[in-house]
Amino acid sequence: MSGAGKRQRLALRIAAVPMGLLALSCLYPIFFAINNAFKTRDDYMRDRFGLATQPTFDNFVQAWSRAHLNEYFLNSVIATLGAVILLMVVSSMAGFALASLRFPYRRFLFAVILSSLMIPVQVVLVPFMRTMLALNLVNTHIGLILSYTAFFLPFSVYMMTAFYSGLPRELIEAARIDGAKLLQVWWHVMLPLGMPALVTLAILNTLSCWNDILISLLVMQKHRTLMVGISALKGQYSDQIPLFTSGIVIAAAPIVVLYILFQRRIVSGIAVGAVKG
Amino acid sequence: MLFLLPAILLVLVFRIFPLFWGFAISLTSATSTDPGQFIGAGNYLRALDDPNFRSAMANAVAVLLSVPIFVTIPMLLAILIHQGVPGRTFFRSVYFFPAILSSVIIGSIFSVVLSFNGNLNALLNLAGISGVDWLGHSATALPVTLAIQCWSTFGMGVLIFLAGLSTVSKEMVEAARLDGAKMWQIWWHVIIPELRPIIEFSTVITTIGLLTSMFGLIYVLTGGGPGTATTVPEYLIWAAQGRLNRPAYAAAVSMVLFLMTSILAWLQIRILSRNANI
Repeated sequence: MSGAGKRQRLALRIAAVPMGLLALSCLYPIFFAINNAFKTRDDYMRDRFGLATQPTFDNFVQAWSRAHLNEYFLNSVIATLGAVILLMVVSSMAGFALASLRFPYRRFLFAVILSSLMIPVQVVLVPFMRTMLALNLVNTHIGLILSYTAFFLPFSVYMMTAFYSGLPRELIEAARIDGAKLLQVWWHVMLPLGMPALVTLAILNTLSCWNDILISLLVMQKHRTLMVGISALKGQYSDQIPLFTSGIVIAAAPIVVLYILFQRRIVSGIAVGAVKG
Repeated sequence: MLFLLPAILLVLVFRIFPLFWGFAISLTSATSTDPGQFIGAGNYLRALDDPNFRSAMANAVAVLLSVPIFVTIPMLLAILIHQGVPGRTFFRSVYFFPAILSSVIIGSIFSVVLSFNGNLNALLNLAGISGVDWLGHSATALPVTLAIQCWSTFGMGVLIFLAGLSTVSKEMVEAARLDGAKMWQIWWHVIIPELRPIIEFSTVITTIGLLTSMFGLIYVLTGGGPGTATTVPEYLIWAAQGRLNRPAYAAAVSMVLFLMTSILAWLQIRILSRNANI
């Protein structure tokens, strides 16, 4: 028995080598981007693999102002923040209704919201654009915020419904006996109670909104978001790699910070979503 | 009821109503300025003769054929982590890192690394191997794009399998070990059969993901090319609606994509409900 155990431990140790290389490969691209972002164009030409020996912030300054990343960054922040807040409010309200209130067609409406998971933006691209045009929402921040909310909503509603279903019903009954209106129950009881789930959702939705390209490409043709801006930058500055990589670093920075701060929450949120479907 | 209204309204206006509208548009000859006329299945018939559509479908098949790789790699890695490979905590958190980066970020970095005068070829040249235009060559563009997609999403799969592995009974694995089973026998006869629901689940969501979330990577890396080498259905829809100004045709391709994803979604629901019955 101990012989087999020993052999297994050896096998695992051997497996750790390619697994370690794979782990390094996961970190290399972002290291590549950061490292080259601090080089001058000549430095990069001379030695593209080496470390940036005389780090310069020039690329960041140029990318931020001359390549308009400041503008794009602001657009992304507005759209992401707006959509994340709206998603929290709408999904918390919907989750409260679906989990705690009794009304006709409750199950059917839940199914309608979930079924829209089967309709990604590509499937409704043309009519979606026409709807946006008809509502005068193209090239507006509010249009992008509403689109993000509509397309990232079902998962959030599902999570909030599941979360609120796990809470004891007595909480709501107690508040209602105290004479509170439903809106007050939601605001004073359900919203604070839902915070653990809502914070996880806020982080996951921040990733989805910030990283999106297709929806923002469609809706924001004039006021680019960061991801649209970066993909345009790629064509413009293909011979100025350090400048381009500094743009990449600026665009990835908020996500990397989120990952470092909330890794555990992101992991558990995705695992819960995955297992429960 | 009023609390549900915003959610229902958003979903109806932006997703469910457009689905039916899109089907209606797909039966017309509409352009971006002209509502056009009813032409029945005209757009669908035209698709069958359209080389762009044909190669998009051929590419979709190639993408679908790669699904087993997309499922197996994370499964093996998750089992190794679960079995206590040295450094597992580090692997677990690092593998996940590419999965949270935007496909635009990943595509941008790889387009620099893989370009003809990029880093990979520079390395190969040092080793005396002449470089390949990885993304500019129609034979390599799709496989390379898929490899990048696999690399950037496998961490998500590892997480899903790890969540599934936590339900595999430790006693059974231990009992098999006491019976003298070798490691690969335990994997093959105990762990993998127990993981079957997760494998099915992962297969379905990976497939749906491959059909509907490669746009960003393709947009940044290859623009669907060279030629139509990396044009997949979702990319063709976008190109037809915008650049080619054939919205009715785009709507028809959308319906084909919807058919493909709904079959998968139906499978997913069946798997989930069957597992719930066990």
